[in-house]
Amino acid sequence: MASSVRSGTILLFPTIGEIFAERSGILNLGIEGMMVIGAFFGFVAGNLTKNPYLGFTVGMLAGGLASLIFAFISITLKGNQIVAGLALTIFGLGITNFYGQKWINTKLAVPAHSVAIPGLANIPVIGPVFFNQDVFVYFSYIVAIAFWVILFRTKSGVYLRAVGENARAADAMGISVDRTRYFWTFVGGLLAGAGGAYLTIVYAPFWLDGITSGRGWIAVALVIFAMWNPLYAIIGAYLFGGINSLQFQLQASGTTIPSSLLSMQPYLLTLIVVIVATFIVRAKHIGAPRELGLPFFREER
Amino acid sequence: MGLIAGGIAIIFTRTNPLTVYHAILVGAFGSTYNFSETLVAAIPLILISAGLLLAFKMKFWNIGAYGQYIIGAMCSSYIALHVSQQSSSVLVLSLMVLAGLIGGAVWATISALLKLFWEVNEVISTLLLNYIALYILDFFMHGPWRDPASHGFPLSKPFPACAQLPILLHRTRIHLGLVFGVIATIVIYILIKKTRFGYENEVIGENPTAAKYAGINVFRNTLIAAGISGGLAGLAGMAQVSGIIHMIQMEINADYGYTAIIVSWLGALNPIASFFVAIILGGLEAGGYQIQMTMNVPFGIVGVIESSILFALLGGELFKTHKLVLRRKKSHRQIQ
Repeated sequence: MASSVRSGTILLFPTIGEIFAERSGILNLGIEGMMVIGAFFGFVAGNLTKNPYLGFTVGMLAGGLASLIFAFISITLKGNQIVAGLALTIFGLGITNFYGQKWINTKLAVPAHSVAIPGLANIPVIGPVFFNQDVFVYFSYIVAIAFWVILFRTKSGVYLRAVGENARAADAMGISVDRTRYFWTFVGGLLAGAGGAYLTIVYAPFWLDGITSGRGWIAVALVIFAMWNPLYAIIGAYLFGGINSLQFQLQASGTTIPSSLLSMQPYLLTLIVVIVATFIVRAKHIGAPRELGLPFFREER
Repeated sequence: MGLIAGGIAIIFTRTNPLTVYHAILVGAFGSTYNFSETLVAAIPLILISAGLLLAFKMKFWNIGAYGQYIIGAMCSSYIALHVSQQSSSVLVLSLMVLAGLIGGAVWATISALLKLFWEVNEVISTLLLNYIALYILDFFMHGPWRDPASHGFPLSKPFPACAQLPILLHRTRIHLGLVFGVIATIVIYILIKKTRFGYENEVIGENPTAAKYAGINVFRNTLIAAGISGGLAGLAGMAQVSGIIHMIQMEINADYGYTAIIVSWLGALNPIASFFVAIILGGLEAGGYQIQMTMNVPFGIVGVIESSILFALLGGELFKTHKLVLRRKKSHRQIQ
């Protein structure tokens, strides 16, 4: 159970980040690329400084920086977002392969350890699962709740949603569309980097080429599952985390199910979940932000 | 632009980027044999990108060429592994081509149907199907298809001679797949420029609502475009296992499925232009393998260069449609 939460945390960060980028009208399909960049640079920094917390921070920033390439292309230069996102993914996988060669199979020097929250950790069942974790997991709780508050209870949340739903109207209200989109795309990058860094610093503390193995794409799918709501993202992320750790436990217990079929589960399940979620989203008439993926030209009418 | 970005990345490893680029160029075009290897790498890129641009033109974002390639390769391998040595080569290869086309097309059609019936985002569905295809291959390679003589490695029996595509040029690895690529490019060109389907395809891409009101059958057109793009990716997979690898294994270079997306985009979704871009990026791939072998420069640099070129192109598109006017803010010292 506790490992499900850890496995889910890898997905929770980038999912929330993408929810916010998408709410502002930016479809960044480069999550996989930003995650692998965060995973690699976070891992290297954690190893060089022998400090997992510094490593995590560096990984986050690396993801954020990577998102700025995407933001410049798609927001300032109005390039096609889908292709730019794919380019970012190819870039991230390429650059980490290029620099990562000598780090392959290196273990993280100093791992992060769990810190039990006094009081809360003693609650039966829930306590050990949710409140006897590492600092990054607590950080993800804060992020999820804080971002829900920002999105639905603050003025900047209203502005953000306005930009994603109707950029022209938002612009007329005096909100800077480009600045809003830049900011939330950058935040999305930071969180994607955080998810990647969590993977190599806590969950699997070593480096492998392409270690994110499609988790970025699962996060894109989870955004639909979460219906663009950070709180639902928690449920989605832990659900997938649970399936992931179940798969490892099954493999470790020496089941007769072929390992390839077990490894396929998360992707197959994500596909099914996306189909169902799309169905519900449509039935409830709560769709994606209306201007998702569309560039904003101020001069056009 | 892309080369500069790649160069910066190389400088950080304390290697001279110019030396690396020179080595890539030599590796790609330096000799007849090197150039033939460039063409070998270009074959799958030509086939896949020809299909993808058709789908991209109507804004069906097929990112799943990777998986369609794998399924195509697997379907044709099934035939190759189940024929006798003495079978007619023409018959076996035709069946394999058909199997590759159908396998890839079916895999792409899944996403098309999900989109048409339930509005499931095709970027996500094609991508997830890539991983699913990979693990299906993994299952077969660790189970039914593993050759007992492979000492536990996930390799199949070698294909019989009748299931191998003939070599076109002596002493090279250029195989009949190149002809498939040329045919595919011409067919797609005609389809886009000369047929009603091509025209309708473009209208759907530009304005799906208008297309619907104009009586264009979006359902049918989407299915056809998705099917053709998947089919050609499957054919590329078939050509690779039958023409180059001569068996089925885990590593069948399915990454061409992602590179081909870059190819079709750099070729401005034009089949003829994509054909030549495929040869250039084929050179980058071939040169990339060369420098990995000889200079120990990781292959990832190829991805960095390709994606940087793509970034530059995407950013540059704005300047094709919009004029840039630099205006200086009025200053007090302005001359009257």
